[in-house]
Amino acid sequence: MPWTTPPGAGATVFIWSGYSLAERDRRWRAVRENAGKAGFDCILVPLGNGVDGRYMTQLRCSAMALPVDGRAPIIIADRRSSNAWVPEPWQTGREWAEPMREALRDLGMERARIGVVGLKGGLATHCSSIDGVVNYTALAQVMNELPNATFDNATDVVGLVRYMKSEEEIGFVRRSAAVAAVGLDELINLARPGVDVGVLYADVTARLLEQRSEYYPLTLTLDPIGTLKPRHYTNPPIGKRLESNALITNEVNAISGAQLTQVCQPILLGKIPEEWKPVIELQKEVYEAGLAMIKPGTTFAALTDFVNTFGPKRKMKTVIQMHGCGYGDDGPVFTAKSQGNQVRDLRIEEGNTFVWKPMAMSADGRIRFALGGPVLVTGKRTEALFTRSHGMVSIC
Amino acid sequence: METPADITWRGYSLAERDWRWQRVRENAAKAGFDCVLVPLCVDGRNLHLSLEQSRGSRSDCRFLTQLENAAVILPTDGRKPIVISDEESGNDWVPEFRPVEGSWGKTMAQALIDAGMDRARIGVSGIRRGFYTHGRAFHGVVNHSSYVEVLRGVPNATFENATEVVGYARYVKSEEQIECLRRGAAIAAAGIEKMIELARPGMDEGILYSRVMQRMVSLGSEYYPMAFYSGLYGGARLPRFEDPTEGRFLQPMYRIANEVDAVFGGLIAQEQQPILLGPIPDAWKPAIEAQRDLYFAGLEHLTPGKPFADFMDFVNGFGEKRGLKSLMLMHGRGYGDDGPLFTPQNRGARNRDVLIEKGNVFIVKPIVSSEDGSFDTSWGGCVLVTDKGGEPLIKRTPGMVSIT
Repeated sequence: MPWTTPPGAGATVFIWSGYSLAERDRRWRAVRENAGKAGFDCILVPLGNGVDGRYMTQLRCSAMALPVDGRAPIIIADRRSSNAWVPEPWQTGREWAEPMREALRDLGMERARIGVVGLKGGLATHCSSIDGVVNYTALAQVMNELPNATFDNATDVVGLVRYMKSEEEIGFVRRSAAVAAVGLDELINLARPGVDVGVLYADVTARLLEQRSEYYPLTLTLDPIGTLKPRHYTNPPIGKRLESNALITNEVNAISGAQLTQVCQPILLGKIPEEWKPVIELQKEVYEAGLAMIKPGTTFAALTDFVNTFGPKRKMKTVIQMHGCGYGDDGPVFTAKSQGNQVRDLRIEEGNTFVWKPMAMSADGRIRFALGGPVLVTGKRTEALFTRSHGMVSIC
Repeated sequence: METPADITWRGYSLAERDWRWQRVRENAAKAGFDCVLVPLCVDGRNLHLSLEQSRGSRSDCRFLTQLENAAVILPTDGRKPIVISDEESGNDWVPEFRPVEGSWGKTMAQALIDAGMDRARIGVSGIRRGFYTHGRAFHGVVNHSSYVEVLRGVPNATFENATEVVGYARYVKSEEQIECLRRGAAIAAAGIEKMIELARPGMDEGILYSRVMQRMVSLGSEYYPMAFYSGLYGGARLPRFEDPTEGRFLQPMYRIANEVDAVFGGLIAQEQQPILLGPIPDAWKPAIEAQRDLYFAGLEHLTPGKPFADFMDFVNGFGEKRGLKSLMLMHGRGYGDDGPLFTPQNRGARNRDVLIEKGNVFIVKPIVSSEDGSFDTSWGGCVLVTDKGGEPLIKRTPGMVSIT
């Protein structure tokens, strides 16, 4: 029994929803296939998992029950929202548990095995949310009211579909990368000693918005070069002006077609110290050598081991740093702290897109340098979408 | 206004921290809880029922720790809280915290046991919507998997909803918070001035959006998306956007509505200003004037000790005396999803018995519409409740701006 627009629906919020119906059908079909292989009768994208909801519906806020047997999904939306993918969703106001339960009942899932997407962090999505992203009270109510159904984690059912980008998605990854690069150019153009960092932050953000990026925080560090643990800012800093010899590391993010990408290139307000040059050169080598390894069939174990043993051969250190591009929190994620032990067996595939930014360090770890941006895995080679000249930008 | 480098504010004091913790402890004691648990909550990108709600998802931990993501166990007996976080480092309020070991659920359960709460009555903030906070999130904001693990890991404790325990502590603002909200309101007003400066027929709406956001961030606001509505007036609702649009250009006689928010000291201030790209039709003027009069009259009625029922009835009955309609539209200001919430949709009926208190800050933006409903208008801004009634945090003039 469809839920219809309630009186408390609020103003409809329009978000970008430009992917084709063919793209919708590709995503839904691939999710059904993964779900079938995992033995689920149905996939539930519940309240709380907004990112997968957006991936599956192009709606800002939605929940979805997708039967594996090929029947149409039931999608729940709020604020009278709908789009070409989902012209007639069930409408709710602020109540989500009841329509989710009713959707599962309508689909005959009272005794089914239901895969809940986002219940835990996955291999390729929700990687930084180890406990998942699902709302407790709403799902607990659904589970209580469907006592004969079983509910299991299905994050990877959707996650491994998101891992593979279609041609449409790749087009937006390219655009997103180009927008992020414009933001980085603006940062380089404006960063000078004496500049108010809060104003600089605003100017770079505005440049990205002008390019029609959705907002995603710019990350900066500003401390003097050589500072061991520089402070990271994800908002305009208060009380800060750039000073000579500041090392500005950055993560300039852009979102186009819902695809989040990132570029980063350190900027030094001064001359590059001699002792940094071998580390920067090492990063160039490991960036390029690693790029050559990022191709279909390579396991992350092989790539990780290659990168992490690259530096010691030159009496320095190198560490893999990369993550997926996509709707947000895409993986696999490799950071200096998290070396992705759970994804060592996962293989790189055609259609993957990553932010590739390995780190090089001096032997004592005091000097650290990372640069990089999006890369696209094609059939024969990997294309770097970050095209600025390698090196630290020196502004004297 | 100063730009961020010249702002001298360097964060909330330790006295402010202790004041907040003490208020929560007192509320928890009154409710009979041995401790309050602010558990891991879903991030706002994923739990996004509205701008306000998404910002409010992890607002309780920000209120108590100034960390973006944390779980907090605050014993009622006066002991220091145990804070768990995945942030890079602590801050002046919480220099040290427990890292997440294995999972948030496991770490929270162990912390409760370490605090001696294995058989305690534990109040959980954010498990359901409240009167003062999380009002838009009917099902609360708590993360499922970690909370289930806590329930399993501390099986002899009892867990009950305590959203109001933290919510009521957030409801009344300290002097430090009021000063941050005042600055935020001024920044939002500067964003509106930028919009008025740039909004002309032919203007690319996406560029306009970017410039307004640039202005506010360059004055020290955190980024908080402006809600922007535009279009020819008549019949259908104006579309609402929260990102810069593509391919939309302002046209003569376009009406612009907005919610312009600025965040300073973590607190969201909001100012609102309707704009018309043309002369204001005579038929609209009675409603615009009545809205202004209602706003000022409403300030006089916004006095401590009064239940919202009285205030609602005054606002909702105001228009009728002039052959118009009026509706209450207001909610609390603070760390996000602050209440009580009164909208034309929910009418705020469940909040009728909530009392207005000195030190509350609200966005007050009542709606007045023509009798036939063909025109409505809303103007508003942040208002502080004082002994003498409502005091706007910054001085602005109610009305519709006409750009000809």
